[in-house]
Amino acid sequence: MIEGVSRTHLLRLAALLLLAGALFCGRYAVAGTESLEDQLAGMLTPSAAPALLGPITSSGRVGWECKPERAAAAAPWHQAELPAAPQSP
Amino acid sequence: MRVLLLVALLIRLSATDAVAQTYSSPSPQPRTTSVPALRALAARREIEERFTIGLEAEARMDWAPAAAEFERIVALHPAEPQGSTARYDLAIAYANLGRNDDAAPELRAALALDPGFLAAMANLVSVDLARGDAREARQIADRYVSLAPDSARALYSRGIVALQNGDATTAREDFGKLLHTNPSYAVAHYDLALAEERLGRFDEARRELSAALSLAPAYARARFALGVVLLRQGEHAAARNAFAQASLDAAGDPALQNIAAAMRDSIKSP
Repeated sequence: MIEGVSRTHLLRLAALLLLAGALFCGRYAVAGTESLEDQLAGMLTPSAAPALLGPITSSGRVGWECKPERAAAAAPWHQAELPAAPQSP
Repeated sequence: MRVLLLVALLIRLSATDAVAQTYSSPSPQPRTTSVPALRALAARREIEERFTIGLEAEARMDWAPAAAEFERIVALHPAEPQGSTARYDLAIAYANLGRNDDAAPELRAALALDPGFLAAMANLVSVDLARGDAREARQIADRYVSLAPDSARALYSRGIVALQNGDATTAREDFGKLLHTNPSYAVAHYDLALAEERLGRFDEARRELSAALSLAPAYARARFALGVVLLRQGEHAAARNAFAQASLDAAGDPALQNIAAAMRDSIKSP
């Protein structure tokens, strides 16, 4: 009797362990898929930060001659000293 | 006759002496004899001289001597605009010496002295991105955009900061606005595509990447991103082609070339 109960318990325990194992493996597989997605997203890095604007003379930033301040305020991208896309060979 | 000749000779000689006899102009009278005033004049002169030497050193990319000149100017506590300008120039020297953590406080000090100094804001965002201070980079970028809403650099800088901070919505707005005035700027199309991809708008991302590639066909990073978007949309053959082309175009970027080749090989050809 005691042996029978123990055997039933053991079988239930084994089934539980198998189920937990299956769930664990399933979750691990999902996590693996997510990490692939994350990896793909991680490969898409933004373009470079802009390079530093150049030095300014002792006259200060005000005035037409101050190129860095003009670049900082310019609306056209090529006047703003921003990174350029690679050109075709 | 002889007497006349002698008189003429004497007149000529005296006239020559008068022309040759030049006197230097007298030194200007000192405007003050006050010791503090003279000291201030000397300091102003020193500041001007050091600016000249420091800027010449920066033009030669001789950053350590340039930093020494601007450090001395800052120690002399010059009035505006020289105070903020010296700190700005000092920050450039520090950043080029790899001392970004020293450059940031100088740019902050320049902005405290001159709150509308756009070039200092622009450089502080770049320095903060280099030193990994995303919080301050965003704070300064917000201020930059609010002061110069049409500035290409302000919009680009905040867009990059937003993308790095995971704020795809702001990045989308900023790059969209930048492209409104600069439709031929391929890099902005690429960054806008990244924002769209992160927002799950794959068709829009694909459109922006196509625009970037039509403007710059050898833009390997954009080609690679197009491969990723195509893969997400289930277009495996097209994605494989994009990765193959990206691995060819990324000749100058071995890391990207390797990843593109690995992605190409991981997709089975039909």
